[in-house]
Amino acid sequence: MRRLLRKIRSTGRVAEPAVPAPDPVSVPGARALRGSVQLRHVDAGSCNGCEIEIGSVFGPVYDAERYGARLVASPRHADALLVTGPVTRNMAEPLRRTYEAVPEPRIVVAVGDCARDCGAFAGAYGVQGAVSDVVPVDMEIPGCPPHPEAIVAGLRGLTGR
Amino acid sequence: MNAIGWGLAAATVLAGIGIFAAVATPDRVRAAATGVCTAGIGVCGVVAGVTALGGTGLRVSLPWLLPMAGVRLSVDGLAGLFLAVAGAVVAVAAVYGIGYLGGGHGPRGRGVQASLPLFAWALLLVPCADSISTFLVTWEMVALASLILVLAEHQHRPRVAEAGLWYAAMTHLGLVAILIGLMTFGAATGGESFDALRAGQLSPVTQGLIFVLVFAGFGSKAGLVPLHVWLPRAHPEAPSHVSMMLSAAMVNLGVYGVLRIGVDLLGGGPRWWWLLVLGTGAVSALYGILQAAVATDLKRLLAYSTVENMGLVFVGVGASGVFRTSGAPGLAALAMAAALLHVVNHAAFKALLFGAAGSVLRATGSRDLDALGGLRSRMPATTALFALGALGAAALPSGNGFVSEWLLLQSLVHAVPSGAVTTALVMPAAVAAVALTAGLSVATFVKAVGVGFFARPRSDAAANAGESPRLMVVMMGVLAVGCVGLAVAPAALGPALARVVNTTTPVLHGDVTVRLSGITSTLSPLLIVVAVLAAVSIIAAAARLASRGVRRRRAAALWDCGAGPPTARMEYTATSFAEPLQRVFDDVLAPETDVDVTPYAESRYIVERVRYHGRIPDRIEHQLYRPVMVAARIIGRGGRMLANGSVHRYLGYGYLGVVGLLVTLAVIQ
Repeated sequence: MRRLLRKIRSTGRVAEPAVPAPDPVSVPGARALRGSVQLRHVDAGSCNGCEIEIGSVFGPVYDAERYGARLVASPRHADALLVTGPVTRNMAEPLRRTYEAVPEPRIVVAVGDCARDCGAFAGAYGVQGAVSDVVPVDMEIPGCPPHPEAIVAGLRGLTGR
Repeated sequence: MNAIGWGLAAATVLAGIGIFAAVATPDRVRAAATGVCTAGIGVCGVVAGVTALGGTGLRVSLPWLLPMAGVRLSVDGLAGLFLAVAGAVVAVAAVYGIGYLGGGHGPRGRGVQASLPLFAWALLLVPCADSISTFLVTWEMVALASLILVLAEHQHRPRVAEAGLWYAAMTHLGLVAILIGLMTFGAATGGESFDALRAGQLSPVTQGLIFVLVFAGFGSKAGLVPLHVWLPRAHPEAPSHVSMMLSAAMVNLGVYGVLRIGVDLLGGGPRWWWLLVLGTGAVSALYGILQAAVATDLKRLLAYSTVENMGLVFVGVGASGVFRTSGAPGLAALAMAAALLHVVNHAAFKALLFGAAGSVLRATGSRDLDALGGLRSRMPATTALFALGALGAAALPSGNGFVSEWLLLQSLVHAVPSGAVTTALVMPAAVAAVALTAGLSVATFVKAVGVGFFARPRSDAAANAGESPRLMVVMMGVLAVGCVGLAVAPAALGPALARVVNTTTPVLHGDVTVRLSGITSTLSPLLIVVAVLAAVSIIAAAARLASRGVRRRRAAALWDCGAGPPTARMEYTATSFAEPLQRVFDDVLAPETDVDVTPYAESRYIVERVRYHGRIPDRIEHQLYRPVMVAARIIGRGGRMLANGSVHRYLGYGYLGVVGLLVTLAVIQ
């Protein structure tokens, strides 16, 4: 116990220093959220690269919760969806249902190149299409996988903080 | 001859007409004809009982009716209470039965139908008996008539025959115990009429022996643990209108017997009698409700709840005896009043619950809670009536069971340590037992209502259910009105209960008056009901007001994790609802589970089929009765060797017997 406390004290904060806030909210619908965005992550068929980056975004180093973005466990609690991967046939209908389950106003963020345009998986037999083919997309974060900084910057565009 | 006499005479005539109608009328009208006669018997019982509760008595001696002993009848306040309760239940159940048997449902054979008025009539006569022989004859008539009624559906389900066997064996073992007890009593006092028994002077040992014997007999009739095993088998297997009579009227006779013999004829007795009664009652209450909580068969659940409620009544009776012997007559009267009030309340809600369960059974053909559900929209009246009965059975405020259980708790809580160590030790434990019982009964009836009637149907039978005939619904409505009346204005029973309590506490000197106005001063059942209704309507109105501010509303499907709508198979079932309780009481219930994994022949790592089988056997039955039955079977097998069919051997037995007898006589003389 004491070792743990000492470790905590000696390590201190590891989070990256916050860069200045971006331009006020880039997505029009997000303004109503007033800086607090609850996110539900949907893996629509990703290779899990984007998931690792998202995990690191909400880890201690990038700590996106500082800026008002938070992951939640149900679309019923969410303001926005964070969709990764090309939309596979199996996940198209669940994604649509998840989108329906989010209370309005709702925002969809497509994270990664696959979510934007199917990336390396374009034309594969199990792929239905990009996220924008299934649900309307409000914001895209490019990269394969996108850097955590890029995701944080995108989310700060939603929160405006 | 007063109203009691006329009532009993009319009941007798109606019983004759009913039996004749059952035998003589054609199939179409038979159920209706006997049902009307039986209902008439019930009404006569109510008239006689209410008259007796009003303070009038009756004493009739018919020396010519039975050979050697004759028939003696007497009706006092105590008998009046049980007469009135049995009469009311019989009247409602008989009319309900007409609806239940209508449209080709249920058994309508001559023998079964003829047993119905006979059973009702015998039920009324038991409390009126005033001599040992009359009592035993009426008692046996109840047992035999009810046995035929329990066996009514034996052609349709094999379990009925098994239940009937258990019932016949248990009820006759009980009769044997009562018979030996009363014969000892009669022999010791040299009289046969109850007056002679009352006046007799007995040694404490004889008294104790008599009491233990009759308590065992009456306890088995009332379903007290460990003699309850027949009850959760026989009550569910009987046709539902018979279940109503069994569970709401017949079990009460056990209470009546203990009060009549133990308190009235034996005059109270020492404290250990009543500690025995109280302990048995508390164990029955706890064990009964625990088994009810994990039961999945709706009628079996109700039958175990009967065990529980009879246990509570005996807790009250026992506590009353303990108080009386430790010099607290006021508390004794209060506990007795609570027990008697609970008899009335239990009869009302249990008849209603069995009626509603019968309505479900008739509509779906199933008693399995796991296969029901979704009946709220298909059988709204039955659901509402069952819920009302469940409110009473769960002993929640604004239900009728609450009033008597609260009174019982009051009497136990206020047990002043009157110098007696036993009282100070026993009463807190009894309070805990009653409180735990009440808590578990809430869980039980939440399960019964929630799993059985709400959510979506889990079987085609439940999905295709329709409301029962109007006659059944109306009769359940009558019972519901009774329940509400008992819940809102129990004080109306005050004077009658006070009279009964005075007759059952002969040790008391002077006139202790128990008025239920005592309840009204500290707790008003009416106000509770009004407060609950007001609170519910205020919350409903507030919710409506609050939702008025919402401008836009969007209908959305239930969130199902995107995988598609949940099916009825994903619902809570009775088994899964009770699973946490089953875990908590694992040591008591000792559930049996059996997992059977069948792998493919090619590889034992690839599973073809997994079968899970779980059941909760009645542990007392398993551990107490099985050895007895095994022993009986071994003895029987031994007996078979003696009787091998050879006539010579039988003649030899006869010869040896006579020689043995002569030798014995020669030695003795």
